[in-house]
Order: sequence, then C-alpha cells, then structure tokens
Amino acid sequence: MFYVAVRILLYDKARSLITLVGVIFAVGLIFNQLGIFLGLMETSSVIIDNTPGDIWITSKNSKNFDFAQPFPEYTRNLVLGDNGVQWAEKLIVAWGIINQKEGGTEQLEIVGFNVDTGVGGPWEMKEGSTDLLRNGNFAIIDESAMGRLGNISVGEYRDVFSRRLQIVGICKGVKSFTTAPVMYMSFPLAQKLVNYLPSESTVFIIVKVAPGVPVQGVAKRLRTLLKGNDVYTKSEFSFKTRYYWAVETGVGFSFLLTIIISFLVGILIVGQTIYNSTMEHIKEFGTLKAMGADNSDIYKIIISQAMINALIGYVASLIITFLTAGLYDAIGMVLSVSWWVNLLVLLLTVCMCIIAAFISIRRIKKIDPAILFRG
Amino acid sequence: MTEALVTRELCKVYQEGSIQVTAVQPCSITLCAGEVIGLFGPSGSGKTTLLSILGCILRPTSGELSVFGQTVSHLDENQLPEIRRKYISFIFQAFNLFPALTAFENILLGLRIKGVVGSEAEDRTAKMLQEVGLGHRMHFLPRDMSGGQKQRVAVARALAADCPIILADEPTGNLDISNGRKVMELLKELASEKQCCVVVATHDNRIEDIFDRIVYMEDGFIRRIKRSDT
Repeated sequence: MFYVAVRILLYDKARSLITLVGVIFAVGLIFNQLGIFLGLMETSSVIIDNTPGDIWITSKNSKNFDFAQPFPEYTRNLVLGDNGVQWAEKLIVAWGIINQKEGGTEQLEIVGFNVDTGVGGPWEMKEGSTDLLRNGNFAIIDESAMGRLGNISVGEYRDVFSRRLQIVGICKGVKSFTTAPVMYMSFPLAQKLVNYLPSESTVFIIVKVAPGVPVQGVAKRLRTLLKGNDVYTKSEFSFKTRYYWAVETGVGFSFLLTIIISFLVGILIVGQTIYNSTMEHIKEFGTLKAMGADNSDIYKIIISQAMINALIGYVASLIITFLTAGLYDAIGMVLSVSWWVNLLVLLLTVCMCIIAAFISIRRIKKIDPAILFRG
Repeated sequence: MTEALVTRELCKVYQEGSIQVTAVQPCSITLCAGEVIGLFGPSGSGKTTLLSILGCILRPTSGELSVFGQTVSHLDENQLPEIRRKYISFIFQAFNLFPALTAFENILLGLRIKGVVGSEAEDRTAKMLQEVGLGHRMHFLPRDMSGGQKQRVAVARALAADCPIILADEPTGNLDISNGRKVMELLKELASEKQCCVVVATHDNRIEDIFDRIVYMEDGFIRRIKRSDT
C-alpha cells in the first residue's frame, strides 16, 4: 500500500508539491520559533550557567539576572561565616550608557567581577586577557556587541557613563536576553562607574560550597541567615531567570502561540490536500473496499501519503533551519537546534500529518457504496 | 448447476427522513455458476440496489442471501469484506481504475486485496492482460488508454482474482456499440471458461442476446425472468 501512496503522490505532482511546501512552511516556522525561543532562554541565563559556583545570593525579590537590585557587600562576610562555604565572590550586573563613535548613546549591560578569581567573568576570550582589567579603566566587550556598537578593536577607547575606558579584550559567547551589549570590567571599577549603585554594594554574591557538603543544606542555612536576601542554587536561579523572561513577560506565550498556529496551519494544509486527493480517488478506494479490502488497507495508503509528506517536509525544513542558523548568528541571535529539539519537531510533524490524515480516514470510513454505481 | 447466489424474500428499505422507500421488494431468485444474467430495468427500478446486496456491499433489510451455500445476510460490516475477497469481483461503468497506477499495477493491486501476491500475482496479471488483448498496453496509465481499453483492464482486474461471482454495473455504459459488445463477449467467454456466475445490471438492449437469463425489474419488483432460449 506504501507503493500505491508513493505512486499517487508522484502522479498528483502539483498537489504533492503544494502539500510539501505547506509542510516545509509549517515545520520551518515551528523549528524557527522553537529554536529562537530556546536560544533566547539559553541567552537569558548564559552568564549564570557559565559561572562557577553553586549558590547565587540576590537582593530580596529580585526576579532575574538582568534587573537585580544592589545590597550591602558586607553580606559576603556573613556568607563566609558558614562552614560549608568554600569561597564567595561579589558580582555587579548593572545598566550603563556607552557613547557611540558617531555620536549618540547605547545601553549596555555592565558586569563587574573579581579579576583575581575570574568568577563571573568571561569564559572564552577571542582576543586579550581578563588579567589586563586590573588596576585601571579597562574593559572587555563581547564580540556580539559589534552589531550595536560598530567595530571595536582592542586598544581603542570608549566612553561609559562619560568615563573613558580602554578596550583590552574581546570575548565571545556572552549575550544578553535584552540584546544589550555586555561589557566586563573589574568589580571596583564597576562599583565606581555605575552611579546609581550605593557605595559598598554588590548585586550578587556567588558561593562555592566546600567539597562533600550538600548544596541544598548550605542554601537552607544561608536563607535562614540572610533575611534581606534571596538565596538560590545555581540551577534554581537559572530557571528563575528563564521563567521570568518566558512566562512573566509573555514572551514564551507568544512563541507558543506561533508554534500552535504553525501546527494548525500545517494540519490544515496537509489535511486539505490529502482530503482533496482522497475525494478524487474516492471511487477507487470504494472499489478496493468492494473487492474486499479492509478499511485498514485504505488507511495505510492515506497514512503513508501523510508520512511521506511529513518526513520529506521535515528533512527539508531541518536543512533550511541549519542553513539559516548562520544568518541568525550574523544578526546576533541564537537559534538553538539540539537533538531533542529535532526529535520534538519530528514528533510534532508526524502528529500534524497523522491528524491531517484522520480527516480523510473519517471520510473513508463513511464511503457510501452507492457512489461506486454512479457513472 | 452449482447455486452461486440464492435470495429468499430479500428486501431493501431505505429510510429517508420520515418516509420509507422500498428499493427492492421481497424477491427470491437463484443464480448459478456458469450463468451470465442480465438485470434490466429503468433507472430507479432497484437493479443497482439488488446488485449491491448480491455483492455484499449493502445489507438487506430483511430476507436471506446465500453465497455458495453460506448465509451472509446476517454478517456484520467487519465480516463482509472476507466474503467479498473470497467470492466476488466487480466491474463498474466508470472503470474505477487508479489513475496513478498502470494497467498492470491496477490489476496487481486488486490481486493483492484478494491475497494473491508475488510472482504468482505478476504472472496472472500479465496473462490476464494478454487475454483481454492489452498485452502491449500493460504499462500504460489509464489516461493513455481509450474507454474500451480501460473497461477491458477493469474486466481483467475482475477476472484475474478468479472469483466465482462477477457483478458488473453498466459495464458498457461508457463504451460505443462495438467496444461494448466486445467487452460483453469477452466476459461471457471467460465466465463460461472459468464457470463464473456473472450478473450484469444494464439497460443496454443491444446486448440482450449475450445473457443466459434476463431479469426485468420495475419499481423494486422482479417483474419477469426470461431465458435466452424462450
């Protein structure tokens, strides 16, 4: 019956092509929407995920990584008082203004970290070194910032909050959910530079738990100790940040809606074309039934048609998605296409086409034998 | 002669809203293997409905139908395909060939439904196409064939399955006189050779002489049965 399905598809070339284009369009949209969403989610917590440490301490009720409020830096001393803590580092994440070369300004996300330990700093340098950030007005910028800020080379100067900083390195892999460029500098410089931060304050404290000590136990003790702060394990804080951007801002919902619409459009396109094809062959299917074919024999033809469309459409969409991933990268966006996304989209595609086939199957079930006797 | 199809007080009533329409009035008739029977009557006389019931496509409202001694009128929708597979082949006025499949593949598909596969099916298909005079067109699509050739493919499909009962609905309806006659002669010849019971619903008077018996229907009633020698 698979052979019959293939022959029908090859015979109705125009219809098959329309179906395939529909599947490619729908699946491509699902791939892209899902990929962009997951890419955004990865981006939103990329610094948390790439920073060593087991526990993140924030001010009370901070909702995410990007918009946390400052709190006194002496809190670190209280944290270090816990026997289960191996080390604790301060980290500033704040918003700044950078002057553009051609005039005008741009917002950027400033990350101030302890250069001696590197905790919270860039994890992959393309050029320069984090060591160069010591003792001066120096900064490192992520290569993705160049889309917003124009070409930046090591050694050139940029004004941030009206203070001239020399770029001493270019890092890679650091992007912010907000798409604002990320600039690294030493903790003391960030503390001085960000004028809205109270003196002697930090935005996060990152804690490394001593080997063999349960992270949850230390987190629990710190929660009891630090009444004015929130204490999260690394995975909790990463999830909280992703959850904030995905759910609380409604971004996730809009992506989900597009995915659902794409899915439904796919069902409609595939369903419509397979249904038309079924209706066109309804007498032939009826004849098969008259000859003694079970409904299941005919279902096999229809489902095979749907599956062929699903698989060819999926593979074509996957290739297109891989080809366009580079374009996304060029415009500073991340398109996440991992094996499980591929598998999920494959399942969605198969579901989409099987559901579409069921519209025709329902019709086949109800074939009126009388149609066979109409000329 | 072996009794192929036997009806006893067979009746079909359709419910159309609150109105009951009797398409086939209670009828009893015996059709034998090796016979070619014509079902004649004007449109709406009930011949197509009777043909559908004889072909186990429609179930009678009341009465009994036996196929080679097996009572089938009480069987449900899931059991009837087995009877059709085993005993019955159809030929339709509109041929009902898959346009995407060649003549050869159309017959092969029919055989597959009947449970004949592999080289046996291929050999049988090729032989049958030769017999109906389409050996040179076996790999042609229906769109590349004339109406007469398509009907011969449909006949070959019906005969290839070696079913003992062949039911045909207006098999000459889309054909000119000469092609229609050829198809009917072919059917008669092959039916007699294979000892099939062939029932043909038609109102083509030009082929009356082909039939061993003619059943005239009107308003759902069997009005008259005429033997060819009477």
